[in-house]
Amino acid sequence: MPSELVIKDLRVKVADSDLEVLKGVNLTVRQGEIHALMGPNGSGKSTLAYAIMGHPHYEVTEGDILLDGESILELEPNERARKGLFLAFQYPVAVPGVSMSNFLRTAVSNIRGYTDKPAVGDKPGVIGSNLMPMKEFRAELLQKMDEFHVDRSFARRYLNEGFSGGEKKRVEILQMAMLQPKIAIMDETDSGLDIDALRIVADGVNKLAGPNLGILLITHYQRILNYVKPHFVHVFYNGRVVMSGGPELAATLEEKGYQWVKQQFDEPALVTA
Amino acid sequence: MTTQLKVRSELALTAEGVEALSALRNEPTWFLDLRQRGWRFYEEIPWPTGNEEEWRRTKLTGLDLADFRLPDSPVSGLRVASTAELPAHLQEELATVESAGQLVTQDGAVRYRWLDPALEAKGVIFTDLDTAIREYPELVQRYFMTDNVPVDANKFTALHAAFVTGGTVLYVPRNVQIELPLHGVTTMRGGLADFSHTLLIADAGAEVTYVDDLVSADQEASFHSGVVEIVAHPAAVVRYLHYQDWNVNTWHFSTQQAQMKRDAQLTWILSSWGSRLSKINLEMQLQERGGHGELLGLYFPSGRQHIDHHTLQNHIADHCTSDLLFKGALRGRSRSVYSGSIKVHPHAQKTDAYQKNDNLVLDKRARADSIPGLEIEADDVRCTHGATVSKIEPEYLFYLMARGLSRYQAEQLIVTGFFEEVLNRVPVEGVRRKLEHVIARKIIGG
Repeated sequence: MPSELVIKDLRVKVADSDLEVLKGVNLTVRQGEIHALMGPNGSGKSTLAYAIMGHPHYEVTEGDILLDGESILELEPNERARKGLFLAFQYPVAVPGVSMSNFLRTAVSNIRGYTDKPAVGDKPGVIGSNLMPMKEFRAELLQKMDEFHVDRSFARRYLNEGFSGGEKKRVEILQMAMLQPKIAIMDETDSGLDIDALRIVADGVNKLAGPNLGILLITHYQRILNYVKPHFVHVFYNGRVVMSGGPELAATLEEKGYQWVKQQFDEPALVTA
Repeated sequence: MTTQLKVRSELALTAEGVEALSALRNEPTWFLDLRQRGWRFYEEIPWPTGNEEEWRRTKLTGLDLADFRLPDSPVSGLRVASTAELPAHLQEELATVESAGQLVTQDGAVRYRWLDPALEAKGVIFTDLDTAIREYPELVQRYFMTDNVPVDANKFTALHAAFVTGGTVLYVPRNVQIELPLHGVTTMRGGLADFSHTLLIADAGAEVTYVDDLVSADQEASFHSGVVEIVAHPAAVVRYLHYQDWNVNTWHFSTQQAQMKRDAQLTWILSSWGSRLSKINLEMQLQERGGHGELLGLYFPSGRQHIDHHTLQNHIADHCTSDLLFKGALRGRSRSVYSGSIKVHPHAQKTDAYQKNDNLVLDKRARADSIPGLEIEADDVRCTHGATVSKIEPEYLFYLMARGLSRYQAEQLIVTGFFEEVLNRVPVEGVRRKLEHVIARKIIGG
């Protein structure tokens, strides 16, 4: 049975404040499906991505997020990752002094269960002896780097430090390829990319897409949908999914613009403000 | 095991103790004189009160010297012929570094010594202080607490001079270059006071790397008042790696000074992990033209540890460079103090000096103070300094955890990454690995 991410009547506010960002989101993404979630800036798209992954800055006040029927709300981000969720960041952070390969080997080892076994012959608390064997990891990493057009030198470089916008996004796709999630949320993966970079990233997404991966592609622009063909398109506005449909919805949106959405779904109070 | 020690009541930290110690070791009069001078200064110099700038943030509450006694030395019976006869923790310590010579000192006496015979043949001296006093008196008389760290530098150096026991004398003759590091391990048991001394002299054109480890033999409180003196003669290349990992009940006082002659190069790496309280004073003296000094520090107090470093980059001569980077992480309710100064004398034109201190505070109740400073009397110089105190970026944690790393793994990568800038500059691979291990241990509060 394919995995299924179900978002049910989800309400989310910013922690330590009264600001409600998500106001009853309903959405289901299954393995094998590509969903595009489109909406204007400030509609809460990124908050949804963060809430699914368990960012501590956001607090779920109502509703639920279920993965294969089980609520994941109480799980730490790493436990959600372990269950097969992946978030490709809009702004991947640069972590000083942390090499990509070192970080990714630890991540892959956790996700694939290597670290469930206790470390042997090593001092306590030291990452190392129970990770995926270096040789095996390296071979797979290099093969995937070639496949996803990431220069091999990036393995030794510090994570995202000094990477260009396009390089960061390609490295996000590479990580996704290594971690093999069931459901991937891609938060504005297309933003800030020139057309060549966009094409490379879209190619990466298409390579990974298939029966074992469900994708929630969050985007502001229609243009990535020229390269990645979604099965479903949702329009997100003011913290909710306000319209759902097939690929034709993206075309309508492209034609009429977000103004068309705003006119239909704006709350009167906001219009006068 | 303390029951096996015959405690001699006369070996207390008193004037009588000074004489008893010297007699027990059959020391020459000139050395007894030096000890007695140390004791006189110790009695004259008042205890720090906290009014002095240097002691404003570091209090000695709870320190009572009467709690500690001198080791019942000489413990010649403890000397072994091979490392296999040493306790496991010392064997492990030695195994961390591939070396050309090893000197293990326990409770102020040598337990094991080895030096590559090829180096002996070249005239390299690598021995304990007691042996050096007997066999190389002129070397000790010339360099031991004379114009480098004077006996009366502070109360703890005076006490050190009075009771110095054990310690390492390393002399590298002119133009002798030693490829592998030499490795010293100093250890002591609880209840003892340790006054080990490191005297490192590199003659003109010599090259040497010395790894100086201080580790406890148990978890009981002890007391260390140490002095490190380094002299790098013209064009010498010296790398000195000081690694302090006493148990967290031990008091640690250390005054270290390096004198650099013309075109000398020094890489000085100080790491502080253990101790209840550490007060460390470092001074790099660039005495002659063309010297280049690199001073790197790592520290990571946890629990209720208190670690205080004070540094001075003392530019006396012109055309010298000094480059200081101290990085510290803090756990639990620990506290760190870094204060540093770059001093440029009027004739030290074309000085290029850099000083930076970064702190990463991991827990709410930990606190790091950083007080950088400049004192410049020359007009054609380049000096920069800076200090930061920061917390772990929540966005770093979230990013790494979203990829499946546990909080502990994420913190470990972030903290190791924070230290990476210094770790990358550690010239001995074994020491670098050891530093990574100790950082991992400290993250869990150990």
